[in-house]
Amino acid sequence: MLDFISRRKFIKSSSAFGLFSILPACVLVKPGRAAPSDKLNIAAIGYGGKGPSNIKRMESENIFAICDVDSNHLANGLKAYPSAKGYSDYRKLFDEEKSIDAVMIATPDNSHAVITMAALERGKAVYCEKPLTHDVYEARKVALAAKKAGVATQMGNQGMASEKLRIMREIFEDGAIGDVHEVVYWTDRPVWPQGMLKPEKSELPPPYLNWNLWQGPAMDRPYHPSYLHFVWRGWQDFGTGTMGDIGGHLFGSLFYILGLRPPEYVEGTSSHFSSGWRAVANTDSYPRASVVRWHFPAVGNKPAIKLTWYDGGLKPERPELLEASRKLGSSGIFYIGDKGVIYNTRLLPEKRMKRYKLPAEKYSRSAGHYEEWLIAAKGQGDGCGSDFEKAGLATEAALLGNIAIKPGLEGERLYWDHENMKFTNNDSANGYVQRQYRQGWTL
Amino acid sequence: MADNKKLNVACIGIGVRGVGLLKNDLLNIDDVNVVALCDVNTGSRDYPKYISDRWGGLDAGIAMVNEKYGRLCKGYQDYRKMFEAEDIDAVVIATPDHSHAVITMAAIRKGVHVYCEKPLTHNVFEARKITEAAKVAGVVTQMGNQGHSSEGIRLICEWIADGAIGDVTEVEAWADRPADYWPQGGLKRPEEKTEVPANLDWDLWIGPAAYRPYNGCYEPHDWRGWWDFGTGSLGDMGCHVLDPVVWALDLGSPVSVDVSSTEVNSEGPPLALILTYDFAARGDKPAVRLTWYDGGLMPASPDDLELGRRMGDSNGGVIIVGSKGKIMCGCYGSSPRLIPESKMKDYKKPSKTIPRSVGHMQEWVDACLGKGNKPGSNFDYAGPLTEIVLLGNVALRAGKKIYFDAENIKVTNCEQANQYLSRAYQKGWSL
Repeated sequence: MLDFISRRKFIKSSSAFGLFSILPACVLVKPGRAAPSDKLNIAAIGYGGKGPSNIKRMESENIFAICDVDSNHLANGLKAYPSAKGYSDYRKLFDEEKSIDAVMIATPDNSHAVITMAALERGKAVYCEKPLTHDVYEARKVALAAKKAGVATQMGNQGMASEKLRIMREIFEDGAIGDVHEVVYWTDRPVWPQGMLKPEKSELPPPYLNWNLWQGPAMDRPYHPSYLHFVWRGWQDFGTGTMGDIGGHLFGSLFYILGLRPPEYVEGTSSHFSSGWRAVANTDSYPRASVVRWHFPAVGNKPAIKLTWYDGGLKPERPELLEASRKLGSSGIFYIGDKGVIYNTRLLPEKRMKRYKLPAEKYSRSAGHYEEWLIAAKGQGDGCGSDFEKAGLATEAALLGNIAIKPGLEGERLYWDHENMKFTNNDSANGYVQRQYRQGWTL
Repeated sequence: MADNKKLNVACIGIGVRGVGLLKNDLLNIDDVNVVALCDVNTGSRDYPKYISDRWGGLDAGIAMVNEKYGRLCKGYQDYRKMFEAEDIDAVVIATPDHSHAVITMAAIRKGVHVYCEKPLTHNVFEARKITEAAKVAGVVTQMGNQGHSSEGIRLICEWIADGAIGDVTEVEAWADRPADYWPQGGLKRPEEKTEVPANLDWDLWIGPAAYRPYNGCYEPHDWRGWWDFGTGSLGDMGCHVLDPVVWALDLGSPVSVDVSSTEVNSEGPPLALILTYDFAARGDKPAVRLTWYDGGLMPASPDDLELGRRMGDSNGGVIIVGSKGKIMCGCYGSSPRLIPESKMKDYKKPSKTIPRSVGHMQEWVDACLGKGNKPGSNFDYAGPLTEIVLLGNVALRAGKKIYFDAENIKVTNCEQANQYLSRAYQKGWSL
């Protein structure tokens, strides 16, 4: 199910299985409403951080509505798209606007799942920013709901459509470094504050912000400017830290190029330490730095793979094959195989790379990350490189890393039963698989 | 000397640690006669923010000594005046890291025996000079890495010598600090002026470091997070955690130290760091790669560690990896075990060939009185141990891997790193 090719075949065959020879824009809800040549009615939910640049790439369609809990964001959106309708509450948007075909979601992580689910239930095609969800349970449920809805879905990890990724897979399958048994990744993120305690004081929310709605399903707390915008990534109730921010990219690509299955166990330590006679228990924000390890099981004749993750400026040991004159970048990845090492996209040492002949193109190139989704939303094309089935698996793997660094769980191997969605050797870890929603919110 | 059989001891630095050494060690040793105490703070200070039931300060220390002996103990604010005025056999130093070396050197020059808290000094150059001076003077020395006198560290040495885990090529070590013991990482020097507490001689506290205005973020407790005064988590715990490794493997000086960390600035050490030390082969012992983690970071759990079993203890730990097995212990070399436990159960332990300690402070007192062997963590041992630890800070501050020429005390691949091996003292101070 993780094989890109077989997935593509699946989508093709399910299209062929469809009801119409000329597919409407929105297959299940409004049969016959729009032909593929017609424009999709797209609603943007979340028009702050990533929303505007996403929508810009969807301008070939009809930007039908903009929704944001921040009236400044909303005003920006309506200025850019004067004919769009404006909403602050996505629930109202869905209730009132029946002609939406597709939804672009770029809200904080905390509300991805509830909004996505509302869209899927209404048969809308969904483009959602990464990570797909805020917690593992949500990722599972959203992926299942997407499959059931049969709509076009795409998570916003653009790299999944890149040619680079396909070349990487071709290189690994070419046996350039033999069987990969270890992957080492590092990032200088977070580039937003992490490692804080909740502010003790509170303020009145600014008049342009619907604080209650912004919090979505998270437990209600008093407003404070240190929670938003952008910096929400560092707060556990709203964001998913470095792991969620960049992990969606990392795991999406690893699953694709190495054909990983869900991890067998995860283990982490971080600069939030909880131990000894003066414990520092902090589930307010994510730590400033962490080292997290995933163990992926052997697949077929491919060996198990250990992945070590460093963030917060931490870096791994230099492989012996890396030339002494070369510096490690602020982020990067090593793939270690039984026949060599690849640093980012190049074999080590560089002189070996220079001699290496890239294998012939084996995997067809993407029409583009946004294009994939827009085409699929019209019932055509080869499917999406980061549809929610793939994105759900990648998101789950990344979010398991966040569980491994919760206070009290650090330094312990947490064995993961993917099928049953639970840890088999630590019950308190299971308490983090699914979070409790505020009253009035459900998935 | 009032009593020929007793050792006249002065203590310098009557803070949390100084009080602890008095209360738990010195005042319980019959051969010790505490004759004078010295602290830059002549009053009493409490440390409620950090440690609820401990306190420090000169008055507090004197009251404790007086109560024990039923007579008056003398107090000084300036250790230099104390050395001039008092007839002292031996001194116990528990000041902040930045003043260890100058005080220790002053004592050595007077032929006074020295017990100094870890790390022995604030930088590598000082460690070398102190070690040499102590040797020349022939005084009795001990660094305050008390785990060196423990049963655990001896067992580790004996098992490794016995070949229990074969040839050791890899060591992973970690400490939990700073946790919330003190603030560290990305600190910025405060701009606001605050009043110097009554009874504190701030100039004296600063000592050989560059002057800066007083602030409670340095004194009494949190100096470890500032380069000018402390040596960070590594300096605080390195001499404890790495002690069994350095002793058992006879590591010598590292060839190189590589580093990665969270934000490190010119003011202080980072919140968390990872160091990679490479030690050359020694005789028939192969080269060793030692990885250090602090700030809450830890190495991967070994595959052969039983599921759910804790690594090390609450302060930190070590995993020593050999060609035939692994030893895991906590901080101070505590509770060493071959892992997995089944291997420990099967292991036929060698006989205990290393003499057991009478206690870390007692060792030193006995040797000072000519009644015992050289203390285990005398400066010939503690100096090089401290150098290993503090070289990590040199790599950290240089921001890159450093290659170290131990003989010439020089970083060979990065000229700007050499400035961190020593430092200029404030006018009026010298080693």
